[in-house]
Amino acid sequence: MRSKASLLTFVVLSIMVGLLVMPNASADDIDIYGYFEPQFVFIYREGESYQMNSDKLRLDLNHSRGGVEFGSDLIYNIYYGKRNWNLLDFFSDEIRAEVPENMRSYFLVEFRDTLYLDNVYLRMSNSRIACTIGKQQISLGTGYFSNPIDVFNSKDVLDPTYEQPGQNGARVDILLRDRMNVMLLYSPVEGDWENSGKLIRLKVGLGHFDFSATGYEFKDYLTDFYSLSVTGERRRLGGFEFVGELFSLGVWFEGAYNFMEISENFYEFLVGTDYTFESGLYVLFEYQRNERGKTNYENYNINDWLRFYLGENKTISRDQVYGMISYPMTDLVNLQLLSIFCVNDGSAAVVPVIDYNIFENVDINIMGNIYTGSEGKVYNSRLGNGLLMRARVYF
Amino acid sequence: MLKKFVLIFVVVLFFGLIANDEVSEITAEEIIKTMTETLNPEQSDALMEMTIITTGGQERTFVYRGYSKNKGEKSLIKYLEPGRVKGQTILMLNNANDIWTYFPKTKRVRKLATHAKKQKVQGSDFSYEDMGSSDEFIDDYNSVLIGEEQKNEKLCYKLELTRKEDLDVSYSRLVIWAEKDTYMPVVISYYHEKDSTLLEKELFLSDVETIDGILTPMKMVMYNRLDNTETSMVTKEVTYDVDLPDNLFTEMGMKK
Repeated sequence: MRSKASLLTFVVLSIMVGLLVMPNASADDIDIYGYFEPQFVFIYREGESYQMNSDKLRLDLNHSRGGVEFGSDLIYNIYYGKRNWNLLDFFSDEIRAEVPENMRSYFLVEFRDTLYLDNVYLRMSNSRIACTIGKQQISLGTGYFSNPIDVFNSKDVLDPTYEQPGQNGARVDILLRDRMNVMLLYSPVEGDWENSGKLIRLKVGLGHFDFSATGYEFKDYLTDFYSLSVTGERRRLGGFEFVGELFSLGVWFEGAYNFMEISENFYEFLVGTDYTFESGLYVLFEYQRNERGKTNYENYNINDWLRFYLGENKTISRDQVYGMISYPMTDLVNLQLLSIFCVNDGSAAVVPVIDYNIFENVDINIMGNIYTGSEGKVYNSRLGNGLLMRARVYF
Repeated sequence: MLKKFVLIFVVVLFFGLIANDEVSEITAEEIIKTMTETLNPEQSDALMEMTIITTGGQERTFVYRGYSKNKGEKSLIKYLEPGRVKGQTILMLNNANDIWTYFPKTKRVRKLATHAKKQKVQGSDFSYEDMGSSDEFIDDYNSVLIGEEQKNEKLCYKLELTRKEDLDVSYSRLVIWAEKDTYMPVVISYYHEKDSTLLEKELFLSDVETIDGILTPMKMVMYNRLDNTETSMVTKEVTYDVDLPDNLFTEMGMKK
């Protein structure tokens, strides 16, 4: 309760600071918008069915005048239904057996109601330079399902376009010339320069292609769930990506090589292609390789699973293939079929999706997920097949 | 006196014939060129309202700010309403041969390949190609002047445009009725990519006003004859007397 109160105080203070830095701003100038999103999730696993539902309210406040913009959004999540889960229930018997009895309670997870400031930032820009300070969205990479370069966010491959949490940082974007810009980012950690994230990214457009090169140094953390300890080490990421077209197909590549201070260096890349047919049918394929991922599913351990779920690792296995087929049934209804295939263990997830813009400002999203793999594999049926229904009412 | 009248008559007839010859000798290319120039002024800044009517009769209305530069070679569309698309931005360069979209909730910019030009913009009956390609009539099609015809109570030139060989454009054939006095198109018929006899869409331009000295159709309605849907675009405000900075048509400009 106290944290909610202090958050609200912070929101009010942030707005006041935002208004103070913008002379002549008044409450009438603030753009207030957002959405309300009730979500119902039904999960069926091992003969039992569960419901885990939530209501989300996102409130955006934005003010912009001249070259100064203040933006923020506040998110309030309420959970109901089955709020308590034990992560171990989703793993194979072999993995569960690895966890000592006295440590099992550490894997209990409770979905608690939350109120937080997702983004709050001040952006100052002129014709060539934009400086953004505060908690903000940082999205890197060209991949649709996953982004090896983007260490800030971890996409859910079953729902890859869902919005990501804000990140603290000070960012400068400089337009060097037409279709050439550089991005500098400082992401503070523990208030010390050495461990804080420092990023430089150059993006250049040539013909129908955009090329980007990224360098990022930051402190990376890996959790050992056997000893429940966290190890930090410096990580230097060198990334390269392009997006463009070849033989009328959209093509993209995103790769990163990671120089690690203590653990082994590793690479990760994703390559993709897409095409739109005359009928409006859109198809997309991506292949991702992560050297940190394992090739034999019998070697997956609890660290692999939990590091993946916590976003410390992008994948559990080494090779993944993603596919998406999308077709506009009408101007308001879109059908999608996502399929995610783990090359190393042969398991797959299939996700049929219906998007319906039922009213002017109301979207309905119905999504199923079916896991085909046997126990222990990445997309195994023990994870639970399910149905998600989400409405989003914009205001 | 009689000689003088005969002389004047001959002179008038002579110059009249020359003048008639000039009119009849106007080529399809000249009409298309003038029409393209009229439709694509050097720069523009407009507030537009786009309303989609679906097959089921449901309406969806979008309000956006549209900017264009270099006679439409660069264009940027920033959605203002409704809330679900607020802040979404589309940047089209090189006459929509390069397209980027920006999603404000994730602050992510995505480059679309050329094939995406055929996709509908926000489910409307306008494709990216329809909205962003300013030079298509000249560069992508061979044009022929068929004759003159009354269309929507206006005397028009009727032109037929046939797709040039080996070009990957969305329509095999266009028929354009351009008003004879102003070269402003009144109706454009778009024929199917694979079947040049199959009418796919028809665009009606009306409510022409002169703004900053430039003829402007304040209303355009695109009818999709295959899906039985329609999309209207109404110009709420427009000015051509602007000096838009080049950096507006960049990734940084999309995020502003």
